[in-house]
Amino acid sequence: MPGKPEQGWYVYGIVESDVEVVPGRTGVADAPVDIARDKRLSALVSTIELDRPLGTPEDLHAHKDLLDATAVDAPVLPFRFGAVLDSKEAVVEELLEPHEEEFANALRELDGKAQYVVRARYVEQAILREILSENSRAARLREKIGPDPGESSRTQQIQLGEIINAAVEAKRDRDTEALVELLQPVSVTINIRPPTHELDAAHVAFLERIEEHSDVEDALTGLAEKWAGRANVRLLGPMAAYDFVVTTQ
Amino acid sequence: MTSVQPSGGGGGAALDRPSGSGLAEVVDSILDKGLVIDAYVRVSLVVIELLTIDARIVIASVDTYLRFAEAVNRLDLTQTGDSKGLPEVLSGAQESGAQKKVKGAAKGALEAAGDSVKDFVGASDGSRPSRHRSRSEGE
Repeated sequence: MPGKPEQGWYVYGIVESDVEVVPGRTGVADAPVDIARDKRLSALVSTIELDRPLGTPEDLHAHKDLLDATAVDAPVLPFRFGAVLDSKEAVVEELLEPHEEEFANALRELDGKAQYVVRARYVEQAILREILSENSRAARLREKIGPDPGESSRTQQIQLGEIINAAVEAKRDRDTEALVELLQPVSVTINIRPPTHELDAAHVAFLERIEEHSDVEDALTGLAEKWAGRANVRLLGPMAAYDFVVTTQ
Repeated sequence: MTSVQPSGGGGGAALDRPSGSGLAEVVDSILDKGLVIDAYVRVSLVVIELLTIDARIVIASVDTYLRFAEAVNRLDLTQTGDSKGLPEVLSGAQESGAQKKVKGAAKGALEAAGDSVKDFVGASDGSRPSRHRSRSEGE
């Protein structure tokens, strides 16, 4: 493409200007991670060839790994995957300088806090047993269809599946609510994420005060024990505050 | 400064504390969340082709219903926790990790969509991934 630069500057996120990058650290496309530094703020950046489409699994991991590793040591404002500017100067002059106050305030608010994600997923057989024991209509339909369902009972099979699906959704709502209630006293703020799997029991991101982490982990361990055999509870993090850093204008 | 244990820090056996994120979990965090660069920068913005789109929404369909029905019909209600009598894939999967258990038992379109992001070669006009969150980009 004539008149276009061949190389761009990939932007990961914004940090305070005293943050240093570990020497040899690489990011998207294995490029060394660099810092575009202004007075109070810096951006984590690396060069990227513009004729190379972005978005392989390695690219996605590289973006998140760098931000998450940074978030453990210093507050960071994460950018959405795929932010590219045409020069390092532009990162400073167009991104950092004009929005210095706004970014600095957001970083201050994140100081001492970290994001985690809780993801619970039902154990299929256990949750189906639970539903059958609570829902007599589903149990009756199951009896009717029998152990060897054929084409002739297709309508009934769809009916049964629909009942099960609705029951799973209702359970997900209740279990998500239970998780949120549990997290409320030990977290700063909570974001309920949409389910991304039909057996999701809950999918919630939250921001915690790092010094209160053991309270969070105790609470979640209690929940995992309570749900043991019925749903598996995963705690992911610490990570950058993806869910809580929002563009406001 | 208070330090954070990245994984395994004092959690009980019941709580799964993976040290890294799977691809689906990475996608959940970075494709539709975080700051949107074009809300801050316009002149020097470079539009680069993105291979990924965020198209994973749980939509129940007839396929989902039939799959649930099949799983229910396979269920041996005389067994309590054990999966004896079920296809091998199930009992085998029981022993491995928490995630695999679900995958083995219920590998459906949704899981596949979450795990194979690279297959979603979309956004051919070079635009950004589609987003379902409000307050996204101001085009």
